[in-house]
Amino acid sequence: MPLPAKAFQHWLHDVAPATSTADICRTSGIKRTTLAQQLVRGKVAETTLVSISRALQRSPLQELASFENYAELAGNTRPPTPAELVSQIATMDLLRAVIDRSDSAPGGPGADVPAAATPELSPAPHATSVRNWVDAIDDGELRHRVSAATGVAPQNYSAQLTANRLSPELAVATAREAGVGFTGGLVAAGLITEAEAGWPPGARQRALDGLSDGELAALAGERLQTLGKVLRRQEHEQAQTEKIWENLG
Amino acid sequence: MAILEWTTLIVCGVVLLVRVPDAIQGRNRIVFGILLLATLCSFLSVPGPYEAIDRLLGGWNATDLIRRYLIFATVLLVGLRVTTGLAAVRGHRLVAGTTGRWALGLSCLAVAVTFFLMDTRGSSAGLLGVSDSGGRNAGLVPYYAAAGRTYPAFVSLFLMPPLLATVRSRLPRLVRIGALLMLIGALCAALSVPASLAPDAWDLAQYVVNYAAVLGYVLGLALFWFSGLMAQRPRSPRAALHGHGLHGHGLHRNGR
Repeated sequence: MPLPAKAFQHWLHDVAPATSTADICRTSGIKRTTLAQQLVRGKVAETTLVSISRALQRSPLQELASFENYAELAGNTRPPTPAELVSQIATMDLLRAVIDRSDSAPGGPGADVPAAATPELSPAPHATSVRNWVDAIDDGELRHRVSAATGVAPQNYSAQLTANRLSPELAVATAREAGVGFTGGLVAAGLITEAEAGWPPGARQRALDGLSDGELAALAGERLQTLGKVLRRQEHEQAQTEKIWENLG
Repeated sequence: MAILEWTTLIVCGVVLLVRVPDAIQGRNRIVFGILLLATLCSFLSVPGPYEAIDRLLGGWNATDLIRRYLIFATVLLVGLRVTTGLAAVRGHRLVAGTTGRWALGLSCLAVAVTFFLMDTRGSSAGLLGVSDSGGRNAGLVPYYAAAGRTYPAFVSLFLMPPLLATVRSRLPRLVRIGALLMLIGALCAALSVPASLAPDAWDLAQYVVNYAAVLGYVLGLALFWFSGLMAQRPRSPRAALHGHGLHGHGLHRNGR
């Protein structure tokens, strides 16, 4: 649930007592009309708070935790599991890792060449971050539990995962039901960065390095298969649309 | 004032006009033909022009008979195009195949027989005047009207499932709205058969259903055309593989 406007205004007064709303909007890159609208409706989006926190050089996570409905964020500082970290690596980076490992394997094409510096992993979140994160922490019953706990219908939850969107509220609820740290979902949802979540630099790379060749190959294979399905569906839809335009447009 | 008749005529005319440049370039001339026929049919359903033309043709309402056949031709073209465009193989076979030909033939026959059984002298749009003359005519006019709506209803029935599937698909939104408008048109066309045999108290409903059918189909076609036009405009690519670090093609329109 978004932040109550009243609590938000209290917070804003606490963190930036002398700054005008116009200045806040300018430095944080929020449209004044957007903020005004959120205040009028009584619900301020979490992204607004994050943008303002960043502009004020404050930790978005801590500021979010200062609100009553996100208070539990402060209590649980468990770091992400290796599976969660790997879930936040883009599919193309995983495939690159497969190729790099095969190149440097004994007898591989690049065995004698000193390993070229592996390019940095692209920052989280990636195109399927949300679904991959939930898959990484799902024990098979997680989705049902989240639906039951939040009252969000399973198909709506599923639709968010497919669209690679996850409201902060659902991200927290999912983490709670899965019994993992709260930051994984917030990073996967793109609300905060890895650094803001307090993940050590290179944590994802180390989790990736910790995968055995078999685990990595299987994971990359699963991701590639899912990607193939999505692309095939999109191509099919594009062909359908073209056909409509060709005959009826 | 024949408000719905005029509205339909104006809508058809506007959609026809915006499609003129495409038709000149040779793009989808059949759709242009459909719109031309639809405009002509709506023109002939407005009382003023109808009576003027019918007087030229001898004043025995031959114009109305011609209008019914023009509607059949329009519906046939719509049926063929929509089933092709939506890749509705079964629907296409039903409209283009033996079943469809029999339905068209029988409808033409039924319209002709009921028409010639009536004494149709005295130009009157929709044969309202003929109906008012009482006797055998009054009994036959509803059947004549129903016969004229049978073939459109027949084709519309087969168009509904593929249109519904398109509405519920994940295709671009404008395409789905176009399909929804056409679906409403098809539903109204199907309902117009029972409506034409309904008691007089349902006059207004009959009247609305008939024109809603035309408007639904024509606006659906207009939206399909418009959605293609929008997709053709250059815009930032948003294809799947971009998000995954590969290159892909966005939805864009070929052949223009």
